[in-house]
Amino acid sequence: MKHYTPAMARSRVTVFTGNFGSGKTEVAVNFTLLLAAQETGVRIADLDIVNPYFRCREASGLMEKAGVEVIAPAGGWKHADLPIILPQIKGMVESKQNRTVLDVGGDPVGARILGSLAGSFVEDELDLIVVLNGNRPFTDTVDGACKMIEDIQEASRLSVTGLVGNTHLMESTTSDVIRKGEDLLLEVSGKLGLPVRFVTVGKGLLAGWSGSPPRAPVLALTRHMMPPWIESEKQGSEVFKNRDGSTAARR
Amino acid sequence: MKGNEAIGEAAVCAGCLNYFAYPITPQSEVAEYLSRRLPEVGGTFLQGESEVAVSYMLFGASAAGERVFTTSSSPGISLMAEGMSYLSGAQLPVVIVNIVRGGPGLGGILPAQSDYMQAVKGAGHGDYHVLVLAPAGVQEAVDLTIDAFTLAERYSNPVLILGDGMIGQMMEPVEFPDPETIPPPQPRPWATTGMKDRRQNLIRSLFLSPDSLEYNNMHLRAKYDAMERDEVRYESYHAERKMDVLIVAYGTMARICKTAVDVLREQGLKVGLVRPISLYPYPMQVVHEAAQKAKDVLVVELSTGQMVEDVHHAVAGSRPVHFFGKTGGNIPPPDRIADEVRKLLVKKPGKSRKTGRKS
Repeated sequence: MKHYTPAMARSRVTVFTGNFGSGKTEVAVNFTLLLAAQETGVRIADLDIVNPYFRCREASGLMEKAGVEVIAPAGGWKHADLPIILPQIKGMVESKQNRTVLDVGGDPVGARILGSLAGSFVEDELDLIVVLNGNRPFTDTVDGACKMIEDIQEASRLSVTGLVGNTHLMESTTSDVIRKGEDLLLEVSGKLGLPVRFVTVGKGLLAGWSGSPPRAPVLALTRHMMPPWIESEKQGSEVFKNRDGSTAARR
Repeated sequence: MKGNEAIGEAAVCAGCLNYFAYPITPQSEVAEYLSRRLPEVGGTFLQGESEVAVSYMLFGASAAGERVFTTSSSPGISLMAEGMSYLSGAQLPVVIVNIVRGGPGLGGILPAQSDYMQAVKGAGHGDYHVLVLAPAGVQEAVDLTIDAFTLAERYSNPVLILGDGMIGQMMEPVEFPDPETIPPPQPRPWATTGMKDRRQNLIRSLFLSPDSLEYNNMHLRAKYDAMERDEVRYESYHAERKMDVLIVAYGTMARICKTAVDVLREQGLKVGLVRPISLYPYPMQVVHEAAQKAKDVLVVELSTGQMVEDVHHAVAGSRPVHFFGKTGGNIPPPDRIADEVRKLLVKKPGKSRKTGRKS
């Protein structure tokens, strides 16, 4: 199994787009943390004007701890469902400095925001990635996925330059689910002549992987955007352990 | 799928081809999804000019004999309150989904359970009830939405799915049933489909003579009695044996409480959960009986205390009922719930306990 490494990310600016619910944010956060483990000065901007919840600003604490600069609406605006475009983002794109990641909202509607930045991107600095989850409505066929990519290009007035596979079924994901997703991804890649950057595999699944490995490099994914009962279940048990060093009942 | 999309697909699966709605966060994805999906199956999505308009679009489509549904979030449901009263009075089967956000007023866009009273006690005027079902996950949202169409037709009454922002926005794997297994729409001989060879059908909620209005009221009451007898749904989790604390919670909050119950039971504490699935009819008897096996009852909601009133009613003073609630979109994690349970356990036996709420 080939693993994806920060050295493989050659572009200064990486933009994650994709259809609604394809897992762009989860991928963008994991990708950013991977870069930040090797480099300093990594920045991520939350450009999601589509999703009201589960946006990368929700993982800002985690990323800031890793030395990442997070650019997202602050204060009360953090929780707004408004199309807020921060002026710093244009500066980030034009600055020619620092590794920069943009997490863009889903569907062509979300990608439209890139149109306003289209003139600022420098072609050889930009990797515009479409994240594809082959289990999502409307992108579960080659034709559906190709149409989504074309619509994103039209809305963003930019050319897509790479693909990322993020096919999963949450906790029910198996090696077969990943392989089936990669088959679809490779077919789309061949049809449109777009390279595959990596496919994601959950860390838990990676440990118990069975059968042939993915052909593309693998990014080991940790889920950060989780509903509270899953997130806290882990936190909860850790907290109890720390308090008394055992799982015995405390009264 | 995201909960909102899954609810949309569930309606398609149930053979509902008419969807009228007005966008509002956090449920706009239902409209987004169905605006693409319905044309594929020959259905119609029409955006109303407001939620008031939508509620009468439901009235018209249902009266014309069609399966129809809408989705909205709290402020939109307030606008539909009048329509719900008329739909109930005219006995029209419709399905309404409320993906609840924080209130009152515009409130916020994060998850809340503060529309319990509005849903269960009736937001509109007059003696009426809508049947209310509360899912605790995406798969259950699908299953209950499909059931809602059958229930609406069985009782000729609106059915409300009470979700929250978390149910609408979160993603989980889902399976849809084979459409063949879903009961087809029941014949509606009362529908206004053109007179042809029959007497005129009249659908109305206006009954000017005292006897005819009372007749309608008593007929509706008989339907609610039947719902209370036949349609109670709940999940019991470790609440069959003796417990120190019984937790009562529904929807998203019940899911978090379930994790808290697991954590506490691992530590040897006797804690159980009753999760009402039908909020009207409320599982009064079930909550009462489960409370008899417990020393204390703890109600947990994403509100400042709404369902707790029904729990008080069910427990009828036989056990102390405590309350813990969070609002604003702040969702307490399982360890916070576990702490609340522990607070009840550290109280010395024999010491008198106050019944009532705390927050």
